[in-house]
Amino acid sequence: MSMNAENRNAETSYAACPQYEAALEDQFEGELRGPEAVQLAEHLKSCAGCRAALEDAAAGARLLAIAEPSPDPGAGFSRIVMARIRQQLQTNEGKSIWRPVVSVAWRFAASAAFALVMLVSFDLGRQSQWRSDQSIVAENRVPEIAPDRPSLPANRDEVILMMADTSHGKQ
Amino acid sequence: MAATASTLSLPVSRREKGEEERQLVRLAQSGEEAAFEELIRRHQQRVFGLVSGILRRREDVEDVVQQVFLKVFVSLKRFDQRAAFSTWLYKISVNECWDYLRKKKVRPLVYEADLSEEQVSRLDGVVSADQPPASSSDRAEARDLLERMMEKLPEQDRELLVLKEVEGFSVQELAEILDLNVNTVKVRLFRARARLMDVYRRRLHSKPAGPAEGKEG
Repeated sequence: MSMNAENRNAETSYAACPQYEAALEDQFEGELRGPEAVQLAEHLKSCAGCRAALEDAAAGARLLAIAEPSPDPGAGFSRIVMARIRQQLQTNEGKSIWRPVVSVAWRFAASAAFALVMLVSFDLGRQSQWRSDQSIVAENRVPEIAPDRPSLPANRDEVILMMADTSHGKQ
Repeated sequence: MAATASTLSLPVSRREKGEEERQLVRLAQSGEEAAFEELIRRHQQRVFGLVSGILRRREDVEDVVQQVFLKVFVSLKRFDQRAAFSTWLYKISVNECWDYLRKKKVRPLVYEADLSEEQVSRLDGVVSADQPPASSSDRAEARDLLERMMEKLPEQDRELLVLKEVEGFSVQELAEILDLNVNTVKVRLFRARARLMDVYRRRLHSKPAGPAEGKEG
């Protein structure tokens, strides 16, 4: 580790020049070319902070190299995912946007059917009650005591006869 | 001559690969489940790496990756192929991770005990001379130490470092996935490595860890 880096160790401060940070990253990755590379090389000659930062980047990368990337989830993973997708699609089919409407419609139909049954049974009950009332009335009907109402006289003779008949009791 | 052939063959093979993938996407969009399964096979490892780079918990990772592919399947018909399928897929993955963290209010892993100077000094060989630990137990211990040092970094730095240095995403890819300028990604990466080294030095040059330092980070 260089002297500059050692000095920085004590302070633990970051000393790279902000305007060169992107170029330093490119330089670290080995991707800096052309005039930018020349310019950075010139700058590095005179800037201890940037040199130390570049050394830090390399040391940090070495440290990170001991980490292992995530393992491959395996050949069966895609099958598991596809199974989950199919399952989800089936569940979604059951949960179509019309389902609440259909549910309400079924409830409405059931209520209407129930109301209809109630109405019909009430009507039938009323009708049978009326019939039984009628039969009772018919059975208990008393023959009329009063004579039939006399019909109107058709001609003069009948009027005279009627008058003679009605005044008969008085004389 | 051989160099010319190899330079020519590389872009062609990339182009062919890209066209093949577009064809797979078109088939999957038309309802071919086998095509979609092939797309999963091709991208599952990178999506796994991306999601575990953000979430870290293995059990969460598997669940979230499955959820990512489910979302991709559902919204595939709306994908117009103007961007690469992989970029679109990775963006969905990142959004799914953030949604997951927000919903679950998952706290980052916190190690109760801080690192001692002795522990950190075991990484000296790795840092100064690129000498990876020889035995598998040493490697496992070094990885654990590194993980604990990474916990001291801001979330954004940690994510970028893991995705770039461990999971192998390029700066260009990270810029597209995270909706950042390429230069911003470069600067953040450069600073993140420096911060990691700061954490390393602070532990190395600190006194044995006490309760006060345990809260630092």
